[in-house]
Amino acid sequence: MLEFRLAWRNVWRNPRRTSLTVAATVFAVVLVVMSVGMAAGVHEKMIEDAVRYGSGHLSVTGEGYLENRTLEQFVHFDDEIEQQLRDTDGVRGYAPRVQSFALLARGNSTSGVAVFGVDPSLENSVSRFSERVRTGSFITPGGRRQIVLGQRLAAKLSAEVGDSLLLYSVAYSLETAYELFDVAGVMRLPDPNLDANLAVISLADAQDFFVYGDRVSEIAILTDEADSAADVARTLKATLRMEGPFEINTWDQIMPELVQFILLDDAGMYITVFIVVVVVGFGILNTVLMAVLERRKEFGVVLALGLRPAAVFRTVYFESVMLAGVGLVIGLAVGLPMLLYFQAHPIELTGGMTEVMELFGSEPVMTFKLKPLNPIGSTITIFALAIVAAFYPAVKASRGRPVDVLRSL
Amino acid sequence: MRDARKRRIGRKLWLWAVCAVSVALALPSAADSIDPSDSLDRLEPAPPDVDPRDVAIRAENSLRSDRTYMAAKMTIRSPRLSEPRVVEFRSWDDRPEKRSFIRIDAPAKDRGAAFLKLHPNLWSYVPRVERTLRIPPSMMLQPWMGSDFTNDDLVNESSSIDDYDHRMLGVDPGDGVAVDERAYVIEFIPHEDAPVVWGKIVAWIGVEHGTQLLQKFYDEDGEKMRTIGFAEIREVNGRWVPHHWEVTPHNKEGHSTTIEISEFRFDETFDEKIFTTRNLKQRN
Repeated sequence: MLEFRLAWRNVWRNPRRTSLTVAATVFAVVLVVMSVGMAAGVHEKMIEDAVRYGSGHLSVTGEGYLENRTLEQFVHFDDEIEQQLRDTDGVRGYAPRVQSFALLARGNSTSGVAVFGVDPSLENSVSRFSERVRTGSFITPGGRRQIVLGQRLAAKLSAEVGDSLLLYSVAYSLETAYELFDVAGVMRLPDPNLDANLAVISLADAQDFFVYGDRVSEIAILTDEADSAADVARTLKATLRMEGPFEINTWDQIMPELVQFILLDDAGMYITVFIVVVVVGFGILNTVLMAVLERRKEFGVVLALGLRPAAVFRTVYFESVMLAGVGLVIGLAVGLPMLLYFQAHPIELTGGMTEVMELFGSEPVMTFKLKPLNPIGSTITIFALAIVAAFYPAVKASRGRPVDVLRSL
Repeated sequence: MRDARKRRIGRKLWLWAVCAVSVALALPSAADSIDPSDSLDRLEPAPPDVDPRDVAIRAENSLRSDRTYMAAKMTIRSPRLSEPRVVEFRSWDDRPEKRSFIRIDAPAKDRGAAFLKLHPNLWSYVPRVERTLRIPPSMMLQPWMGSDFTNDDLVNESSSIDDYDHRMLGVDPGDGVAVDERAYVIEFIPHEDAPVVWGKIVAWIGVEHGTQLLQKFYDEDGEKMRTIGFAEIREVNGRWVPHHWEVTPHNKEGHSTTIEISEFRFDETFDEKIFTTRNLKQRN
């Protein structure tokens, strides 16, 4: 206990120096907490958006659909399949979709579009398209020949709600498929590519239009947790009784580039954090080393009086850990509320980062997320730092032979 | 003792038999994947005075005059269809003006549909909803009417003369491997700005009548994408013209499309009104 008190007194022996070191530690802790929180938040949001505007956490498709994406690859979707999906644990929502390519024309303007045929009563359990409608409404259950366009696509065709557009393509039966659709709504989608190319019609209309029967291109499935996607995929692969060959892919298999981006982004963040932590580590080392060197006489005396070197070693160590501990406590006290504040109030982005976010179909918003691992990790890092930084000064203090030390003064 | 040995020998023979049969089964399938007609080793050198470009021009002219009318039946075969889909159409091609018109007469569902190309645009008229749609130039290489022919094949947006460089590869002896008559084999390499997707086309053009006999289309990686064979070469107004065209895509198992031309009329005079968007909507 004596060593403890000694260490605490020594920490405040030079209050100005200690305050500066504590300030550096506080800065490092806040930076670590915020960076890790931001990365967690941004990545979670990106995954969430990509999943919600894409194929869900899981996508059940005909074999080879991901590589080819034509009407040739399909699965059948009927009441029986629906019942099986509903009975599977971990399935939060499912949405059957017909996806193909078509031309959409209004007057002399024609645009190639990605047609999504969705069931409006099921789609909301997976995607967020309906929340994105800015004018008009989403397609309504039971409504016929309604079409909802991305905002940029609508602008390209100068189409407005109520306009009648010609959709033109080749049906599964190799007939020419064409039909007039009324614009029910216009939606603003975060992904500019989707916004400029997506046209949503009802599943029933799509199956009529493409002469597709009860076939669908994919069944997008939302699971309870992003992490449980692989488990649910395995269960479904084993239990789903499907006519014809099918495959189930999880979101990270469907979007490997997103997973890679997240890994790369994380790596970049950890390198920055690492550099800051090392700089702060040298700050702590410097402070403790100075405190030791200016007390050589004192250590010489206590060692001469018979204090064991191990006790001196411990005193110096406690000093370093206390120094870091004070910084850590203040750092967390500042950083965590800040993180929680930004978690509740996401920052709207402008400039370069917006493009990256849009590239992955995410809204340009910087979100933060506090995960328990964040403060725990920061604590461990800072204490590890203090322990490493104090090693040399502590050895230096406890190793000195009293005679040499006293003579040198 | 002897029985055991016999059995062993018997088993050995059995193994050999299995091996032989499996090799025999494997061989023809291996031969399938390598098309012997792709090999250019059989070719004889071409006479040095034959200009491949002239041969290409002659082939183009045998199929197209400045103003050509034709009536044709297209048959689409696909594993998706229980029976082939048949489309009947008539076409008017005005080569100097780079415009053409196609009217669909059958099946009943598509009767009255029409296509009009006024360079560089393609217009499509759909009868049931009575709308005209502009098909952007980027869609030229999309399938036409669900067939294995492209829009470009039908409306001749690209020119086999102006959009390609021509290189003589040799003379095919006409031994039946690729074609049944002597033919110049010419490689068509598209110009960089040409509105085509192919990396190259290798064409067999008959020495005697100067008509296209066989065309193989390759993508930019040198992969064979489709083959068009021309048959039933008959004389019409002093020209030799193939009346049966068959396209086989190599990336779509079981798909093929044939066009059989029932009537050709060359060097016609066309009414200006044919090539108008108003004509698209006429029920003629």
